[in-house]
Amino acid sequence: MSMSHPVPTAPLVVACLRVTDLRPEVDLLTGSVRRDRLGVGLSAPDASALEHALRIAEAWSGRVLAVAAGPRSVETVLRDAVALGASVLRIPWDDDGSDHGFAAELAGDEQSLARAIGAALVPFGTPDLVVCGDRSVDRGTGALPAFLAHELHAAQALGLVALSPGAADGTSRRVLDAERRLDAGWREQLVVPLPAVCSVEGAGVRLRRAPLSGVLAAESAVIPTSALPPRPAAGTGRGTGPVLVGATRVFTPRTRVLPAPESPDPRIRLLALTGALVAHDPPTVVGPVGAAEAADALLDFLVRHGYLEEPPVAGSPTGAGDR
Amino acid sequence: MAESADFDAVVVGAGPAGSSAALALARAGRSVVMVERGPFPGSKNVYGGVVYGRVLDDIIPAWWSEVPVERWVVRRSTMMMTEDQSLAIDYRSHAWGVAPYNGMTTVRSHFDSWLAGKATEAGARLVTSTVATGLVRDGAGRVIGVRTDRDGAELHAPVVIACDGVNSLLAKEAGLLPHAEASHYTLGVKEVLDLPAEVINDRFGVRGHEGVDIEILGCTRGIPGGGFLYTNAETVSIGVVASLPHLSDAKVRPEELIADLKAHPSIAPLLRGATLREYAAHLIPEGGYDTMPPLATDGMLVAGDSAAMTLAAGLWLEGVNFAIGSGYAAGRAADRAVTAGDCSARGLASYRADLEQQFVLADHKRLRKAPALVLSERIQQRYPGLLCDLAEGMFTVTNPSPKAGGLRITRAAAAKHGVKLRELAADTLRGLRIFG
Ligand SMILES: Cc1cc2nc3c(=O)[nH]c(=O)nc-3n(C[C@H](O)[C@H](O)[C@H](O)COP(=O)(O)OP(=O)(O)OC[C@H]3O[C@@H](n4cnc5c(N)ncnc54)[C@H](O)[C@@H]3O)c2cc1C
Repeated sequence: MSMSHPVPTAPLVVACLRVTDLRPEVDLLTGSVRRDRLGVGLSAPDASALEHALRIAEAWSGRVLAVAAGPRSVETVLRDAVALGASVLRIPWDDDGSDHGFAAELAGDEQSLARAIGAALVPFGTPDLVVCGDRSVDRGTGALPAFLAHELHAAQALGLVALSPGAADGTSRRVLDAERRLDAGWREQLVVPLPAVCSVEGAGVRLRRAPLSGVLAAESAVIPTSALPPRPAAGTGRGTGPVLVGATRVFTPRTRVLPAPESPDPRIRLLALTGALVAHDPPTVVGPVGAAEAADALLDFLVRHGYLEEPPVAGSPTGAGDR
Repeated sequence: MAESADFDAVVVGAGPAGSSAALALARAGRSVVMVERGPFPGSKNVYGGVVYGRVLDDIIPAWWSEVPVERWVVRRSTMMMTEDQSLAIDYRSHAWGVAPYNGMTTVRSHFDSWLAGKATEAGARLVTSTVATGLVRDGAGRVIGVRTDRDGAELHAPVVIACDGVNSLLAKEAGLLPHAEASHYTLGVKEVLDLPAEVINDRFGVRGHEGVDIEILGCTRGIPGGGFLYTNAETVSIGVVASLPHLSDAKVRPEELIADLKAHPSIAPLLRGATLREYAAHLIPEGGYDTMPPLATDGMLVAGDSAAMTLAAGLWLEGVNFAIGSGYAAGRAADRAVTAGDCSARGLASYRADLEQQFVLADHKRLRKAPALVLSERIQQRYPGLLCDLAEGMFTVTNPSPKAGGLRITRAAAAKHGVKLRELAADTLRGLRIFG
């Protein structure tokens, strides 16, 4: 069904849901991952994203649109969102029914996915807020929210453990108050301007249960599907195309031969082996710098420590993803 | 006030009984809703592994062409064992490996979802992740619906069909089942073990989609019960069932019984190298006909394990087919009662009459004494050893001593296991009367 909606003025909060098999089976010998259509559901971060979207839309008297990109099997999850009163939209993605390998999913072209989601949202109006589940904690690249923010010209905040409508900053502009973890138990408080793409951890809130009337209504609801998004050929289009993942194998750092410690005292030899007697570089503080400089600093670090042989050529489709 | 919705019938549980009941009602054009506590049908359901599909012939013609099957059972074996002996009667049929087949191993999450899908295709509604927490009654005490755990919302209908499985809370609340009667139940525990398909084929002497069903007696340390071993496509299911009060008295953990069985010299070679995929435990209503509750009360029917309909009679451990048969009959009886505008116990009485005409109550009635015989002390503790010794006596070559006669071997084996020949004859006669 292609969509043509009047664009209402109430704020639009989008829950961008990643539907996945919650109980994949991993073959211990081959490492292959087997997934089951029956196991599809929302991970804790995605459930938390939906709950945050519902709460914030309530506070803003706004609309919630739950979006999931995937084959028809994602409709089960969208139906649960319908039961909670959200509008929903499925974006056909990997609709050939094939069970993509785990590595292929990791290397999925998040940029074209973000583009497809951005395009599918157009008929609904510009979202004030898109909430995603923070997938990078357990798996996934966590890249989608960033690409999505780019597509929507929105601010981005990731790794959030709390997200709520913020007090307006003296003007009529709406903002969000957010919080994320730092090391050593510290928390960082953010004021996020709108429009924004925020990704939340699966913590702090629990997805509400739908009322029975909602469940009954959702059971027979037709799930709207956006027009099939065009798929860019790898390496073409605006961006660099997907990261290409070669054969996955265990990463083994190269062996480096070190001279045996020299000392008649076995204790000193042992200490030397632990590295305790060697002066260490102090932790490097980079920044605050822009994203490109931060990436350069990271690459430089990896080269210096022997994890990368040479800096990858800018714009090359194969990057660090296959290492 | 809690919200509510109205239907012609409410079915609690989307197991085989519930889906069959909903299918019958939906086909009759009734509005029917199934309430299932799991996130999808079969998600929480435990069983050994074999479904005998003949009951589906009339309900879903050519069901075998679409059912999610693991393997078609072509070998059935009944094995008696002691700690270090075993004696098996092994039957194999080529006919069972081709349509219309006899039995199949199937995974419940797949099978139950498939059957529930048939009901929803026919128009039944399915509400998952929702628990029916109790019955709703009218002023006269008649059941008129169920309460759910979604903010206490209610589903109303002139007839409720309780298909909520063994130890049915709804049947208890309706006063149909006694509050607790441990002796009517066994505990079934099972492990699913991973084995490559070719290894299963080689070890069990099958190929392609062929599978094996082995029922075992004498593997439960004398606790009344038995064991089973079934082959799936790339896994095997092994488990034991044990009488609940005896298990509790024996202070044995059920997983120890499975560990014993897996280590038995006749079983261990079949499982070498297998890795554990899942462990599950569930009650089984093994009491049979004499422990069944009344099947109807005003506004309510009970079907499947809620009505204690698993047939556990030594050679047979069949519950899914009985659940399907009774569920479908309950759905049809509910439809008739709604048409007649009489959903009282009397209006729903055609359910029982229907079950008596077909295998569900006919088999249970004929085999009503089987559970007691099969779980009796002699069958459980003495006969497996006696029969194994008898076989050993017959098959051991005793040269240069001449072969002993069958009667002498039988006498010796019976004496060794404390069984009098009189008792052996009486039990044989009893068995013939029950199973004959
Ligand atoms: C270890 C073991 C081995 C077995 N082996 C076999 C075998 O090999 N072959 C065979 O045919 N049978 C076997 N059985 C028996 C078989 O499992 C049962 O007879 C069969 O599952 C009964 O079906 P049912 O639909 O009546 O109940 P169930 O299959 O138990 O279904 C009940 C359904 O109701 C739902 N439910 C329960 N309470 C509520 C509630 N309050 N609200 C909402 N939903 C609820 C449950 O989630 C479930 O889906 C075995 C049983 C066990 C335990």
